[in-house]
Amino acid sequence: MDKETEAALAALVAAARRSGVGRRLQGDIETRLLQSIVDATVRLFDAEAASIALFEQDPDRLEFRVAAGEQGAGAIGLTVPPTQGIVGFVYSTGQALSLSDVANDPRFNRGAAEQTGYVPRSIAAAPLLSEEGTEGVLQVLDKRGSPTFSLQDMELLGVFAGQATVAIAAARVQRGTERLLRTALTQIGPDLADDDVERIVATATADLDVDDEAPFWRLVDQVARLRALSDREIALVTDVLDVVAQHASRARRSRPGR
Amino acid sequence: MTEQLPAWSEPFADPKRALRRTLRLRGLTREWAWGGATGKGVRVGIIDSGLENAHPALRGRVVRNVTVDISGDEPEVVDDGAEDMFGHGTACGGIIVGLAPDVELVSIRVLGADLRGKGAAFAAGLEWAIEEGLEVCNLSLSSKSESLYPIFHDLADRAYFRNTALVSAANNVPAPSYPSLFSSVFSVAAHAEPDPQRLYYNPQPPVEFGAWGVDVPIAWKDGGSTVATGNSFAAPHVAGIVALILSKHPGLSPFEVKAILASVADNPGRRASRRHRGRS
Repeated sequence: MDKETEAALAALVAAARRSGVGRRLQGDIETRLLQSIVDATVRLFDAEAASIALFEQDPDRLEFRVAAGEQGAGAIGLTVPPTQGIVGFVYSTGQALSLSDVANDPRFNRGAAEQTGYVPRSIAAAPLLSEEGTEGVLQVLDKRGSPTFSLQDMELLGVFAGQATVAIAAARVQRGTERLLRTALTQIGPDLADDDVERIVATATADLDVDDEAPFWRLVDQVARLRALSDREIALVTDVLDVVAQHASRARRSRPGR
Repeated sequence: MTEQLPAWSEPFADPKRALRRTLRLRGLTREWAWGGATGKGVRVGIIDSGLENAHPALRGRVVRNVTVDISGDEPEVVDDGAEDMFGHGTACGGIIVGLAPDVELVSIRVLGADLRGKGAAFAAGLEWAIEEGLEVCNLSLSSKSESLYPIFHDLADRAYFRNTALVSAANNVPAPSYPSLFSSVFSVAAHAEPDPQRLYYNPQPPVEFGAWGVDVPIAWKDGGSTVATGNSFAAPHVAGIVALILSKHPGLSPFEVKAILASVADNPGRRASRRHRGRS
């Protein structure tokens, strides 16, 4: 390996490590952002439920990650194939749409709805469209004030879907350091063969997460926990650490032979 | 460029304010354009989730069902069953047959199976429709993939030069999507007035036409029906009217058909705008 490659790889390893640290420190920021979006959606629409499903691979599926509203809770964790239903259609085509009267039609495919324990009368769904394609779908069930969704509702839903997409992009570090590096490498070197990209990513991330108990990661996790504390709790921890430090130095001084 | 693109159906939400036209082509009427037409002799391709041939809303007008097989090295167009994976293709077909009862529908299913290679399947289906010489194609999907941009650009040009009218639902988000934003395509968004023949021309493209797309009664999966909202239910209204025009005036080019639509559109004109100003 020549010097330049070595330096570049060292930089990548550093970037991977930073991203790993960032992920640990942030907590699951993506879920928190998406949750705040469905919370806002359900309130603004005055709807029974709002939820976001994200596309996951192996096997291909749309997985409901967050939900809000009185009838929303049952959706979390539910997965649906991207080849079926309204959510699947919106994901596949990137086209927002809404359907009404769905519960009145006995032939409507209600399998997924029934799994959540709630069969809606109307559904509006918009795709989460990012630069890299469709990330998932935002759906709203049953506006309380109206049996259907208006043009303005669909506009508004599109705005919320846009926010969710931005949130996902902003928290992309969350979706894995390897994906981050892969994207960066393909952008920097569009001529790089896929195999080369994979090899570089593997080398740069080899030391990450190999041992969750490694002292470095334990320290990072401790710092992450500290960040979640209130000012009073931090003051308390600082006091405790002071006492421990004083005790340790006294113990050192009194140790025989020093 | 991105921020100049219109949001969803914004111009069509308030036509009086946004779509007033003081100058328009004169001398054309709807009576001349499609009065008495039934769509006879015009084939409309539905590039979507398939068509449920037996659905009553399609009135037996489906003449062929194909799909794109992407399991091999090259996408291949093969015969398909008379089914609809989602119901959406049948909804679009029903709207078109409702306007133009004698059209022949061709189902080109590009949705529903494997998602990988979805863009490539879409492109292959569209290419097949153009090579078959279909007069009209209704597209409910578009691609954001930069790598497919040149392919769709080439296909949109080929369609234009072969007189295949591509009618495409505009995307919801103000971001580039192909082929719906190419200039030769009939790009359609929704308005909320419940009239299948109410049409608006938007003088500020890329979205050029507005048609009914809010609370539209539609056909759905398994012989069912429902009520739906979306740009993808507005596009087939334009596809149906284009089929009517082409059945009465075969051989018109896409730009001529667009000019006719713009000319007979329901945009408020000079007199309407004067009245409007007089009141305020």
